[in-house]
Amino acid sequence: VGDDWYQRRRNDVEGRFWRSVARQGPRKGEGGSTQQGIYAFTADGQLLTYRNHHDPAVMREELRKALRAWERLPASRRRPGAVKVESAGKSDARYHHALPPGGLVVNVFTRILDRKGEGFCKGTGSRIGGDFAARDHLWLTEAEWKSLIPVEPKKGQTFDVPAAVRDRILRFHLVDNTRGEPPFWRRQEIRTGKMTLTVAEVTPERVRLKLEGTALLATRADPKQATRGFDAGLLGNIEYDRKKQAITRLDAVALGEHWGQGPYTGGARPGRSPLGVTFELTRGEAADSVPPQAAREIGEYLSTGR
Amino acid sequence: MKIFRQQLLIGLALLLAPFSAPGAAPVPPGQFDRLHALIKPHTDEQKWEQIPWLADLWQARKLAAEQGKPILLWEMDGNPLGCT
Repeated sequence: VGDDWYQRRRNDVEGRFWRSVARQGPRKGEGGSTQQGIYAFTADGQLLTYRNHHDPAVMREELRKALRAWERLPASRRRPGAVKVESAGKSDARYHHALPPGGLVVNVFTRILDRKGEGFCKGTGSRIGGDFAARDHLWLTEAEWKSLIPVEPKKGQTFDVPAAVRDRILRFHLVDNTRGEPPFWRRQEIRTGKMTLTVAEVTPERVRLKLEGTALLATRADPKQATRGFDAGLLGNIEYDRKKQAITRLDAVALGEHWGQGPYTGGARPGRSPLGVTFELTRGEAADSVPPQAAREIGEYLSTGR
Repeated sequence: MKIFRQQLLIGLALLLAPFSAPGAAPVPPGQFDRLHALIKPHTDEQKWEQIPWLADLWQARKLAAEQGKPILLWEMDGNPLGCT
């Protein structure tokens, strides 16, 4: 999987290779336009098939076509080791973003919900795929995640989550990305935002903290006038292993009412409706290296000040 | 004096009202675990998630060359494993 926003802009070996493949298909990327879709190609860069379709039956046939095209290639090109892949060399740092050393990656999942009795259930909407969980990652630098753990923790001690972490969560992760690329909140659209940590338990082995917060995010100061907003509460738990000097658990839920949509997230449900966002540590999967969606503007994403 | 003070307090409350947030209900602690599990992707929901995708094109290219296989790339604006 890849993010074409980065790939079509990269001015490095990988970017040039990718564009040489994509331009064999119908999407030439003229004027920097998107080349998104599903591609099958060889390790030496020959396009086999291209299609961009929602229907599984169409895509199944496309995969069969790709395999047939592959099998038509000379066996000498298909055998293991036939293609030599050069080193990718130095990446274009403007369009290749990696987690800062020592940083922490947190999975972020978002889902529309419906009310059911006193609780909630999976939400339903008219947009295809909009009722599935959307995914993203939250990045915390080493200094930031360490700032969440008091040096000398005492049970009952309460303190504010540092502003840089709080604002990153509010602006870039309490968003409705269930139907596509979401607009992020501008700083002034944080109408209220409070996030505190309370030391719930201290033992020689671990420190456990409770995370609580509220936020009102809205495109206008008067939420009734705002075309898009999210009014949410936040609850979570953080556990810190004192021997490993590492956060071993970070689970949180943001729950509230969201309204409105962005240019690429059309098909929102009318009015205010429940939206949930969860946070949890990653589990060592390939997807962990995928940057946060908002990290395209990496300076803004990792910004530490207002 | 008492009436004046009451009126002053009511006036102040009305003045501050437009600036105060309606305030989201807190996440019910008793529902935390259920909500956390509900919002996350479920294994039976989307079969594409069962595919062991790679997120690095160069790594995929090297692996395909070593193993003599073609590459299937799902390329979107917004990484399928990291956005939407």
